[in-house]
Amino acid sequence: MNISEKTVNHYTILSLQGILNASSAPTLRNYIAGLPEAQSLVIDLEKIEFLDSSGLGALVGIARKKKSSSAVMKLARMNDRVKKVFEITQAYTLFDIYDDVSAAAEA
Amino acid sequence: MNPIITLTLQANLRYLRIASIMACNVAEIFADLACNATDIAEFCHAYELSVSEAFTNSVRYAEPSQPEKQVTIHFSSNNSTLAVSIIDTNPQFNPVTQAPDISCYPEGGYGLFLIHRLMDTVSYTRKDNTNILTMTKQATMVHEA
Repeated sequence: MNISEKTVNHYTILSLQGILNASSAPTLRNYIAGLPEAQSLVIDLEKIEFLDSSGLGALVGIARKKKSSSAVMKLARMNDRVKKVFEITQAYTLFDIYDDVSAAAEA
Repeated sequence: MNPIITLTLQANLRYLRIASIMACNVAEIFADLACNATDIAEFCHAYELSVSEAFTNSVRYAEPSQPEKQVTIHFSSNNSTLAVSIIDTNPQFNPVTQAPDISCYPEGGYGLFLIHRLMDTVSYTRKDNTNILTMTKQATMVHEA
């Protein structure tokens, strides 16, 4: 999985590309661990080809840490395959989810 | 059930995508041959995701003292139903189906719940110190208007 980063307003935008599963989830966790704890995030999922529950667990864990540090974490541009995992598990209830990145970074 | 293909992999997350991509490809070919499936993409995604979950569990619960442990993935079919079994020699487990309490922000515990929601049937057998988790799903027929 590849991660690219940019800043919009006071948000760090992380664009993920590839597979987010048990094999690649540590890459995301390590990357986030290198950012300031209180940094608010938008995670762009448009180019995630496949997400399983380990990938979901990584996102939920990051959300929990951001919540405890009063930072904001938003998700943007879920495709249908990613959306299905969030719907079955009801994990969508834990996140603010946007159809585009700029709207997420403005809200 | 008629056997289709069996793949044995080392119990290592390095091989996780081999398992899940093979599941997706077998499901795609099966659905195409079995009938005009209504949604081949959804059928394939169910297998790709379910095998990813089951293989990950097999790797995670493999005993570290036995690094050469293997996971076998066996596909079989009967008419319009495709079955996949994930076979390992890990300790016995409880194939719990309960959804994790999402309000507690759990990082794990979704895998078997997802499998049960994606597949038509899920069965667990413990035999000769072997775990056999078998999942089936029927490729549905197209009903033209």
